[in-house]
This record gives sequence, C-alpha cells and structure tokens, in this order.
Amino acid sequence: MRRLLQSVLLVCLSGVLALPVDAAGTWKLGVAAPLTGPLAKMGADIRQGVQVAVDEVNAAGGIRGQKVVLVVEDDKGDPREGMVVASKLVQSGVLGVVGHLNSGISIPASKEVYAPASVAMVTPASTNPQLTERGLKNVFRTIGRDDQQGKDAAEYVLGRGFRKVAVLDNKNAYGQGLADVFRRTFVKGGGEIVLSDSVTTGDKDFTPILTRIKAKRPDLLYFGGEYQDAGLLAKQARRVGIRVPMMGGDGILDGTFVTLAGLKAAEGTLATGPGGTSQKGFNVVYSKRYGEPGAYSAYSYDAAHVLMAAMGRAGKPERKAVLAAVATTRNHPGVTGRITFNAKGDQPNFKFSVWTVADGRFRLVQ
Amino acid sequence: MEWELLAQQVLNGLTIGSMYALIALGYTMVYGILQLINFAHGEVFMVGSFAGLGTLLVIEKVAPGLSLVPALALALVAAMAAAAVLGVLIERVAYRPLRHSPRLSLLITALGLSILLQNLVMLLVGTEDRAYPDRFTEALQEGFDLGAVHVAWQQLLTLGVALAFMAGLTWMVQRTRLGKAMRATAQDPVTAGLMGIEADRIVALTFAMGSALAAVGGVLFGLNYSINFFIGTQAGLKAFIAAVLGGIGSLPGAVVGGLLLGLIEALGAGYVSGTWKDVFAFVILAVVLVFRPAGLLGRTVVEKV
Amino acid sequence: MRALVLRVLLVAGLLFLPAVLLALPQGEYQLDVAMTMLLYVALALGLNVTVGLAGLLDLGYIAFFGLGAYATAILMHGGPAQAEASWGWSYWMAVPAAVAVAGLAGLVIGLPTLRLRGDYLAIVTLAFGQIAKLTENNWDALTNGPQGMEVGKPILFGLELRAGWQLYYILLLFVLLVWWSVRNLNKSAIGRAWVAIREDEIAAASTGVNVPRVKLLAFVTGAAIAGLVGSFFAVKQGFVSPPSFDFIETVTILAMVVLGGIGSLPGVILGAGLLAALPELLRSLPGLLGLEGQFDVTPYRMLLYGAAMVLMMAWRPEGLLPDAHRRAELHPEDPSALPDKTEEVRA
Repeated sequence: MRRLLQSVLLVCLSGVLALPVDAAGTWKLGVAAPLTGPLAKMGADIRQGVQVAVDEVNAAGGIRGQKVVLVVEDDKGDPREGMVVASKLVQSGVLGVVGHLNSGISIPASKEVYAPASVAMVTPASTNPQLTERGLKNVFRTIGRDDQQGKDAAEYVLGRGFRKVAVLDNKNAYGQGLADVFRRTFVKGGGEIVLSDSVTTGDKDFTPILTRIKAKRPDLLYFGGEYQDAGLLAKQARRVGIRVPMMGGDGILDGTFVTLAGLKAAEGTLATGPGGTSQKGFNVVYSKRYGEPGAYSAYSYDAAHVLMAAMGRAGKPERKAVLAAVATTRNHPGVTGRITFNAKGDQPNFKFSVWTVADGRFRLVQ
Repeated sequence: MEWELLAQQVLNGLTIGSMYALIALGYTMVYGILQLINFAHGEVFMVGSFAGLGTLLVIEKVAPGLSLVPALALALVAAMAAAAVLGVLIERVAYRPLRHSPRLSLLITALGLSILLQNLVMLLVGTEDRAYPDRFTEALQEGFDLGAVHVAWQQLLTLGVALAFMAGLTWMVQRTRLGKAMRATAQDPVTAGLMGIEADRIVALTFAMGSALAAVGGVLFGLNYSINFFIGTQAGLKAFIAAVLGGIGSLPGAVVGGLLLGLIEALGAGYVSGTWKDVFAFVILAVVLVFRPAGLLGRTVVEKV
Repeated sequence: MRALVLRVLLVAGLLFLPAVLLALPQGEYQLDVAMTMLLYVALALGLNVTVGLAGLLDLGYIAFFGLGAYATAILMHGGPAQAEASWGWSYWMAVPAAVAVAGLAGLVIGLPTLRLRGDYLAIVTLAFGQIAKLTENNWDALTNGPQGMEVGKPILFGLELRAGWQLYYILLLFVLLVWWSVRNLNKSAIGRAWVAIREDEIAAASTGVNVPRVKLLAFVTGAAIAGLVGSFFAVKQGFVSPPSFDFIETVTILAMVVLGGIGSLPGVILGAGLLAALPELLRSLPGLLGLEGQFDVTPYRMLLYGAAMVLMMAWRPEGLLPDAHRRAELHPEDPSALPDKTEEVRA
C-alpha cells in the first residue's frame, strides 16, 4: 500500500513538473480570469471577448503570417491562485496578458510576476486607481479608473439637477472605490448625501436597507457594484416602493441587469460606461457566438487587440519589444473608444458615457 | 413614523427568515436522526430552486397561457420532487456506506458533495445569475399599504407558503404513525428497530422530506431574488446557523431560529449597517452557544458516561 | 534507522529543490507550485494539531492564517492611513508578533468555547472565521477594507529577498520548524494527553489529564502555526486582501488532513502535498495528454476535486497513511492494523 501511494505521489509530482516545453518564437497571448467560482460569469465575458479578437486576427492571416496562440488560465478570483496562474502564464511563454478581473489579483501579480519578466498586462476590468500608481511600466488598462468614472457620474447627476442622493456600495474593491469617488465629487459639487451604506456581495435580500433609504426620500439611488447585486437592488427598490431612478457604473452595464431587475424596475436606470462608436458591429459578432456581450466583453476584446497590434508593431515575438510597443499605443481604434495610454498605463482621456435602460435595453444617452 | 418603520423591517425580516426556517428544518431533521451536519443540504436547496425555474420555463414554452397559481403550484411540486430524489440519492450513495465511520469522514463527504453538486450545476446551467420569468414575479412585486407599512404580495406569499409547510410538517411529525416512527428512530434507533421500524427507510424518508422543504425554500427564494449555482453556500450557512441558534434537532427550534435570524439581519441592516449585520448575527450565535449550548429551544443533552 | 535516512534524504531534497526546478524550462512556475504545496503542508500540520490530535473541529482555522497575514502587513506598514510606514517593523520582528496575535486570538476564542461539545465548537469557530473576514473587509481604517494592502519583501542584511528561491527558503525554514515542534509535542506527555482526550474525554479526565488546559493548548498551537504561515503568505503574495481568507480555504485544509490520515503526520503531509498539487496537475492535464487547446479541463477541475473527496471517504475513510490507532478503530477485524507495542501502551 505504502509503495503504491509513494508511486502515486511520484507520478503526480512528475506530472506537475514535466510540463510541455514551448517552442519559442510564437505569438502567444495569455488570458487570466476567474472561469470557475462565483465570478465565473465575468471571467467568461473576458475570455470570450479575447477569443473573438484572436479569431479575427487569425482569420485575417495572423501576425506576420503566423497565427496567434491563446493560452487561457483560471485564477478563480483567488489572489493566491492568481499569482500561481500568472507565473504559469509567464513560464508558458506568453508575450502579454489580458487580465485579471480582480484588482486584488492584478495589483500583486503585475508587480511580483509580470514586471520582473517584462510581460505587458492589459486589464480589461481592474479599475482600482492604485493599480497604475506604483510606477510600474508593464501595467495598462482598457477600462477607465474608478476615480474617473465616479467623478463623471457625479458630474452628470449634478448636471441633471439631482440634489439628494442615497449611495450604496457592495463593499468589494470595485464597488467601494467607485462609490467613494462619487460621494466626494457629489458633495463637493453641492449635492447632499442623505444616506450612505454598504451591502455585502452575495447577499440577496436588500429590503431592510432599501426601507431605510425610502424613509430618507432621496431623488436618486447611486450604487457602486456589479449587475448581480444591482439587478436585485432595482427589483427590491420597486417592491418596497422606491420610485426614483437608480444609477450605477459600468459593472451594471449588462443585459442581465434588466433580466434580474425585471423590465419595469429596470426601466430608467442609468449607468456610466464606454461609449464606443463601433460597438454595434462587435455586438453582432459576439452575440452570434456567445449571446449578449457582458460588462467586460468589449474591454477584453479591445485589450486583446491592443496587445496583438503591439505584437505586430514589435515585429518579433519578444517581450521587451512587445511591452515597448504596447506603451506607445496611440489612438487605437477600439470598440470602447480610441485608446491611448499615458506613462502610467491609464487612458487619461477616457470619458465615460451615460447609458439608460429604455424599452428593456441599455441605450446611449450622451 | 418610527413604529411604522420598525413594523416594515420586522416584515422584511420575517420574509427572509421564513426561507431560512424552511432550509433549517432539513438540517435539523437530519441531525436529529443521524447527528450529521449535512453540509450538502444548501446545494439541495439550490437544485430545488433551479428545478422550479426549469419547470416555469417549460410551462412558458408548452402552456404559455397557464395562469399564475397553477403554474407556481406545478413548479413547487416539481422542485420538491426533484430535491427529494436528490436528497435520498445523496443519503443512499454517499452517507449510508459511511454510517459507522468517524463523524469527521462524513463531514468531509458532505463538503465534497457540496463542491461536486455546485460544479455539476454550473456545468449544466452556466454561471449566469438567473431570475424567475417576469410574468410570475412582476405581478407579485405589487402590494398594498397597511397604514404606513407597505406589504408586497411576494412577502405575503412567501410567509404564507412557508408557514403552511411548517404547519404541515409539525402535524405530520406529531400526529401520524410515520411521524411517530421518525421520532422513535431519532430517540433510539436500536429500540425502534426492535419495534419493527426500519431505520433505513425512516432515514431515507427524513432526507426526502428535508430536501423537499428546502426546495420550497428554493422556489420562494427564486421568486423573491435571483439564483445561481453558488446560492447554496450562503443560504445553507445561514440556515444552518438558524438551526443551531434555535437548537439543532428541534423542529420548532429551526423555525424560531430562522425567523429570529431574519429579524436580526433586517434590524441590523435597517438600523445600523448593511455590512455589519452578519457580524451581529454571528456574535449573537456565539453568545447563545456559549450560554445555552443546546440552542434556544434545544434540550440539553446530558452526556452518557 | 531507515526512517532517519529517509528523513535526511527528504530534507536534503527539499534543500536542493529550487536549484533543480530553476534548471527546468518552466522552473519559476514549478517553484511556485512547490511553495504552494509547502504552504499547505504547514497549514495542514497546524490544523492537524487541533483536529487530528486533540479532536477539536476548528472551522475558522483560516481566520488565524488571515490574522497572521494582516498583523504582518499592518506592523510592517502601519496601516493604510500611514502608508509611509510609521511603524515600519522589519519582517523578522513582525513574524513573532504575527504568531503572538494569532495565538492570542486562539486563546480568546478558545477560552469560552472549548467547553462546548464537538459540533457546537465547529459552529462557533465557523462564526469566528466569518466575523474575522467581515471585519477585515469592513474596518477600512485598519485594513484598508476591500482595497487590500501592499506588503514589502523581507530584508536580510540589507538585501531585499524578492526572488522565488529566496522566499522558498524562508518558507522551508518555517515548515521544518512547524514539523519539528509538532512532532516533539506529539511525542511528549501533552501529545499523549491530546490523543487520550480525542479517544475518550471522560476517561482522560479521570486519569488526571487537565482537559480544558490541554484542549486550549492544542487550539492555541494550531492558531499560532496558522499565524506563522500567514505572516509568510503576506510577504510572498506582496498583497493582502479579504478574499484570500474565505471559508472554502478552511475546508480545503481540512480535506487535506482527513485525506492524508487524520492525526498522522506523514499522512497529513502527503494529503496536503497531493491536494495542493492536484488543481495544478489538472490545469496542465490537457498539455500532458498532448491535447493542448483541444480539450478544456477548467470547468471540470472543481468537479473532480469534490468527487475525489467523496470517493476517498468511501474507499479509505481513515485516510491514505492512517494513524495506527485510527486504523485499529476502523478495522478491528484486521490484526495487522495495530502494531504490538501500541497494545502494550493501551494495557
């Protein structure tokens, strides 16, 4: 028995150790996102967005006549696994990575794993300002930062004449970051926050807190968080009798929001998000394969294209060259807008547009 | 105004609490008879909820004209049946072979099953959050005002259905021969066996009933909120805490524990903060356990020496 | 004698592992996997003291790991409010402090709750684990809440230990330390008292074992070990945030202990190594079978993990390398299960 166990262990160990060696010199693109676990839906958005982009490039003959190879890894949304996956991607020879979803993974992985290996990380989803404030040369994002988005949202709300707002967030890195900036900008602009609180992600019943909000009579409810929580909030807000509109960030800009909230409760909901002009074409292609694009699908599609364009400009499958090319991305025509990176890896000119739900769909307002 | 607000929060709390109570009953019944914490129970609840959704979707396709009440009743029955079969299957395949193993092994099996079921459902239905079809939830969203308290039909339906099932269970356990056999087996399986009660059948039955009740909770949950393959963990944990709070092994305890937990959460979120409410719930649980280890309504067991 | 040789060989192997791995084409990743395995070995050894030796089911175990990690981060950087390191402890000072914080928390939780019977203890510790995670997520002023905290690297003689192999040796040192102390505790009078309690609490008490104190010691030891590993995790990861300390982690570690053979040190080490490597193995399975890209194993990974737990319990509930006592209990008909000398001890 002991013998048997020892050999089993040995086989397992050698299995982990004896990974296939990759031939150098291929255009390898990595994508890392949570593909299992509670965040799996958003991970699928990312992976599918990237897949569409890679297939487009490959269908058009690849980069310099060679096909792009996609390496997909599941970080499960767990920081520890995220680091392991990052190092696996680096070792498998990727030239750049689209990922991760969670800022809590992107922040350490970019610094500890990708930076020493000069691998460019373009995140389609991590919006935490801290990510690009650490002087790293290899971090980029196709999405805007929480502080840009929260500010744009607050200014829009003030411009529309809303003065009394209740603010909720779901107390994860994204939701809190967004709501905090919204609160600050809104108060500075002369608005009044009648109630400010957080809910716990994964909770389903928000009626107690909504009841409290109703008693404060706000004229808008702002929510920092993702569409899963937001859909329920909108539905239950209506149930407890709140009739004012709700507003959120790009995390709620997803068709599923409407399904979860129900048509009536969703109607009139506002959301900030990308306002790309060629969204439509992408939507059609994407929908054909995977159904309606999710909140991060377009950003991921753009991230993959930015990286592959950089590979093309670099001319050789070499990380340093690719990284340098990504950093000089200027006016890349993405479906989420024209992409230009500054020295930090942010898009300083990223302007969030405002969307609203009309007849059961998110439509561009401005 | 203050009183109305309080009344409203109590109503909110009882609504979610009644769902906790339905799930908690399953935990408590299984524990009463096998002294097993069935960690996979939360997943049975989740599967029940999806079975309800599936039924409603089929109804939408096959008989789109079917009116609200029969459609919901059909979904409820289908979900209960699916969950009951799953519960019995789990007991038969995973737990029964281990009945004489150390309790820890059983606990690990339960945890393993829970992971297994979650990922199985994820493969089958995908990762997206799902809502019950609008047609069934939309009408229930409306409500009426009772003074300054707003009562949604949904809340009324949830409370009504939950209470009806709890009453039914109590009647069954207290008044029928089957219930008597269950109580006898819980008290002393060997003696019950000598009296001609087949312990295996009673255990299977307990699993079936507990699972069916969880499915009722699942359908109500689906009508009120949204569902995904992950809801079993959180709801299962909450319901389990409710069962322990009330006194695990005691049926009224599970109901009281569930409603109480719902109230604690609603008042915590309604008066203090939405993020700290779970902390209150856990602190209260810890305090209750330290001072009344058997829970609020549980009987203190004198350990046999 | 043979066991000694084996042990020396094992330690030597572990010492030279980085050199071997880094010579491989995917060395950095392999080293990361090796560190993950060692990390879980240490954690499992700690939980084994509480659950395996003393029989106390601790479902909030990961919280002590989290406390150790957060204590390290906060002491090294002084919390988010004073990002410029007003406390600025060195890592080497933060380690004992992290151990002390976790141990102390174990004491505070253990004192009132260890009177409770098994299942209830499990629930109170489960509740504690949830409270710890929620507090980490909500106490923004201390922990920076969901945004998490960055942690620097350990500095030794002015040299920043940043490379994988440097961190590996710190971890190896910790693991050996944990293993050595657990082994010695296990052999001592305290270790025998733990087993006595696990087997029969009342009998143990009547033979003069101070049950509450010995139980508490087991609980605090487990917590302190978790704190030690947590302090390493903080610097290895370079970042601490609440999602790392989820309940499912406790479940994973518990599964390792049980899978390997509860109460048996070689078993627990084996279980931890296997289960930590398994997800990575499944990750590279298609590549190994030459099916790279054709077959996606990702969705099935956790499914297989759950199935493995269930099958294992049905096949060998006492674990892979069981403790002799347990084995005897589970297979009374098998005389070879119990070595003769144990018979004497019992008599």
